[in-house]
Amino acid sequence: MNRSKRITLNLFRGAGLAFYLFIAVFPLLWIFITSIKPSAEVYTFPIKYWPSKVSFESYRYLFEFADFGKYFLNSLFVSITASLVSTLIALFSGYVLARMRFRGKSVLVIFLFFVQMIPAYLLMIPQYSMFSSFDLINKLSGIILVYIGLGAAFSTIMARGFFVRIPVSLEESALMDGCTRLKALFKVTLPLMLPGVAAIFSFSFVQNWNEIFTAALFLNSDSKMTVPVALYSFISKAGIQWNVLAAGIVVSLIPTIFVFAFAQKYIVAGLTKGSVKE
Amino acid sequence: MKNRKRFWFIFWMLVPVFSVVGFLSIYPTIKGFILAFQNYTVFTFNRIRFIGWDNFEEIITDMDFLMILRNTLVWIAVSVFFQLLMGLGLALLLRKPFKGRGLYSGLVFYPWALSGFAIGLLWSWLLNGQFGIVNDVLIKLNFIEEGIQFLSNPDTAMLSVLIVNIWYGIPFFAIMCLAALQSIPDSVYEAADIDGASGWAKLVKITLPYIRPTIISTVLVRSIWIMNFPDVIYGMTRGGPAKSTEILSTYMINIVYYENDYSKASAVGVLVILLLLIYTILYLSFSKGGEVEI
Amino acid sequence: MKRFVILLIVLCLMVTLLGAKDITLRVIQVFTSPERTKILETIAEQFEELNPGVDVEIISPPYETAYNKIYLMVSTEQPLDVVEVGDWSLAGMASMGKLESLEPYIADSEMTPHLIKGVVKSARIYEDTAYVMPNAVYVKTLFYRPEILEKYNLLTPPHSMGELMAYSKYMTDADKAQYGFDWRGIDPVNFMDLVVTSFFDDIDPQCMYKTTDGKIIFEDPRALEGLTFYLDLYYQTAPKDSINWGFDDQINSFVSGITPLLFQDPDTTGLLNSLLGEDHYQTAPLPVGPSGKVYPTFGFGGWGIPNYSENKEMAWKFIEFFNSPEISAYFCKNYGALPIDQRVYDNDPYFSSNIFAGWQHMFADPETYRFTDYPLDNPAWFEWYQLQGETQQKILLGRMTPEAALKEWADFWKDAGL
Repeated sequence: MNRSKRITLNLFRGAGLAFYLFIAVFPLLWIFITSIKPSAEVYTFPIKYWPSKVSFESYRYLFEFADFGKYFLNSLFVSITASLVSTLIALFSGYVLARMRFRGKSVLVIFLFFVQMIPAYLLMIPQYSMFSSFDLINKLSGIILVYIGLGAAFSTIMARGFFVRIPVSLEESALMDGCTRLKALFKVTLPLMLPGVAAIFSFSFVQNWNEIFTAALFLNSDSKMTVPVALYSFISKAGIQWNVLAAGIVVSLIPTIFVFAFAQKYIVAGLTKGSVKE
Repeated sequence: MKNRKRFWFIFWMLVPVFSVVGFLSIYPTIKGFILAFQNYTVFTFNRIRFIGWDNFEEIITDMDFLMILRNTLVWIAVSVFFQLLMGLGLALLLRKPFKGRGLYSGLVFYPWALSGFAIGLLWSWLLNGQFGIVNDVLIKLNFIEEGIQFLSNPDTAMLSVLIVNIWYGIPFFAIMCLAALQSIPDSVYEAADIDGASGWAKLVKITLPYIRPTIISTVLVRSIWIMNFPDVIYGMTRGGPAKSTEILSTYMINIVYYENDYSKASAVGVLVILLLLIYTILYLSFSKGGEVEI
Repeated sequence: MKRFVILLIVLCLMVTLLGAKDITLRVIQVFTSPERTKILETIAEQFEELNPGVDVEIISPPYETAYNKIYLMVSTEQPLDVVEVGDWSLAGMASMGKLESLEPYIADSEMTPHLIKGVVKSARIYEDTAYVMPNAVYVKTLFYRPEILEKYNLLTPPHSMGELMAYSKYMTDADKAQYGFDWRGIDPVNFMDLVVTSFFDDIDPQCMYKTTDGKIIFEDPRALEGLTFYLDLYYQTAPKDSINWGFDDQINSFVSGITPLLFQDPDTTGLLNSLLGEDHYQTAPLPVGPSGKVYPTFGFGGWGIPNYSENKEMAWKFIEFFNSPEISAYFCKNYGALPIDQRVYDNDPYFSSNIFAGWQHMFADPETYRFTDYPLDNPAWFEWYQLQGETQQKILLGRMTPEAALKEWADFWKDAGL
């Protein structure tokens, strides 16, 4: 194509990219700005676009008055544990569902797929009474169990997608050399699967970190609250303390963005590789 | 002998996921189904009995039911359609490498990492009628004279919630489409160039058909998620005002909140599953040529 | 042998004493906010100091899910010792059959003779038994901005509804973004009722929605007058957006001066003190209607004890402690509610200040300010306030006439057996 056409095309492209970036980023920017405003300036009219003086009082309030650090640690503990276990389970079952042929396999896969259709809220009340008879209410271990339950099916499907992509030949040679399947899995396949593992873990982590309704229902004690519930408590009868909530959102974003940025390209690979059958 | 060993291997590898799913998903769902036919509310918990289809009758004859149903369909259809459109657009833009593409994609995809509820709250602040920045910008640009009550006006509420959900879902679709786009071999395009195809023709005749399978499965998965994770709506409007943004899933939450009627809420849950099943079956039969083996 | 027996007895006593220590008292609150949680925790700490061996755990669910949480916990008998319940939810809660009757405790308590008249009576909503001990009362009164009224030469607050309308209209000038009345759009129950019932003079003191001869007020022509008057306050003296205003919008508007006349509860004072400062607002009694009367209600929040609690004595001790004059004053001052113990008003200067003028006046003149009760024990109450809010919206959006609304309300209460 000729030069001027190429230039216009690139211009359009640049404009398009700028547009997408703008709409993605400006809400975050505004939330960040709100979080560093002194509380008097949050509700002013006309709106101040930049605080007259940068104030971290919202963050101070968050960590000193509202004890946010504790909730942060609780969330970290819950999310990491649940994701680790979930990923492990997913690897076992994903492997089998990808590699091995046996009767009823496709039924099982479709079954896992259909489990996605169950709304989480439908599960909550029966789970509550179940858990209360096992004395798992108000315990972080209870929440971890629920999260594993919520994510296991999808993680398995993701894992299967990744496993399908890894050539069988490498494993077969290991098997022929006398390895058990399990050993072959750990020594040969898994190292190749590391990007996939990262993807499954990160995806699960983000889901668990952000889950709010079950946590709000199952946890009572202040010492056990997780981040989303803590954010939810900034909504009271008097309305919403926007500057504190904004600070809370910014802080709670940090782990997810960190994990997400790290695993982003792996997540892409995992979600698509299994969906296009050759 | 080897067969037995093999059998047990498969068995034990599958036990974790299926026991977890069985115990934490299937069993509660069955209990939920049973609940739907009982009268378990917080006030009748010690006199629970079966009341047959009463809950369902109550739900379906509620005067707002049709609106809720309509909202649900609009919610899914419009969200998915525009998420796809804009996600695809972004993917097409990102296709050719450029300097800083890695950083750019990190920034532009981040909404996906946020919790839906937090996004709902965030946007309700941005769209606030008095102190919201969206209104302020619109006023400064002279598009409107005074702030629009986006979330308090039944007419604009649904629109606002949809726009936010679309915003939220663009990264997901963009990522899926991008990966699919990247698997199209260049040779096909080169051949088309030789034949003198225009940009538009290349898009429609080559690109789209190639990524069709991806689009089909992504749309299905995404629709199910959008239905079952109404956090965005809940965070923004809680289903209001006057139920104008209420969909079946938020209706379930609100029944527990306002009426403390767990049975009725479970009945709505059953309806949701039913709807999703019907949707999936219809969808799959109409989209032959799509691979759903995810 | 004798010595051995004595030693054994002493050992047993020691063991029981040691075992008797370390009680965990679980207290759950329902109007959670970070500030309120801090106040409660401070009170809890003081209680712990006075009662070594007792550990008080304050459970603070997020405000929006608090009631759901409590219902769920109580119905599944999760360990709880003190449960906070608001007046509107008391009947529902008590009907679950899990609350302990507090009558015996109240009868024996030393604080009972000092309580404000009528408070315990209001708590006897369900089966005429007090299942909850109120810890503070909430009564609506008129808040106003003296400085803003002065600008228009209005030197005293409006004494009657008529004056309220006149003042508001006089001040309203949409071009200058100045309005009069701070309208409540969302959940308008108590607001609308105050105005509508002021057009009557024979409201039943046991039930706000009935007249003394047993008829439902919504069928009376005076209700239409009252409703039309109330709607006019919106059309002529309030900003258009107020159709969607909730508590915080009302406050923001009052603070910014846009609407200097507001009906609200005492918990607003805490908020206004920090947002506005004590010198910039005052309270006055509610304006009276054409009949010269007005009908406020006692709202309250209180503490109950689940009947499966294992620490009932200690739980009641906590409740008494909470209602003791010093603690009650501390709580009410910081949270912004009205104490239920008369001694607090007599002794604490804060509660006789100008800010409390409105309530003091109303409590002192029961002829004009006739307290009545909502039919909170009626199972339809839950649906009622949602219905009233939705109907108000429909009327204001022009989708329903006031007459049709009144008919719907009358029918609702007839069906509910009022």
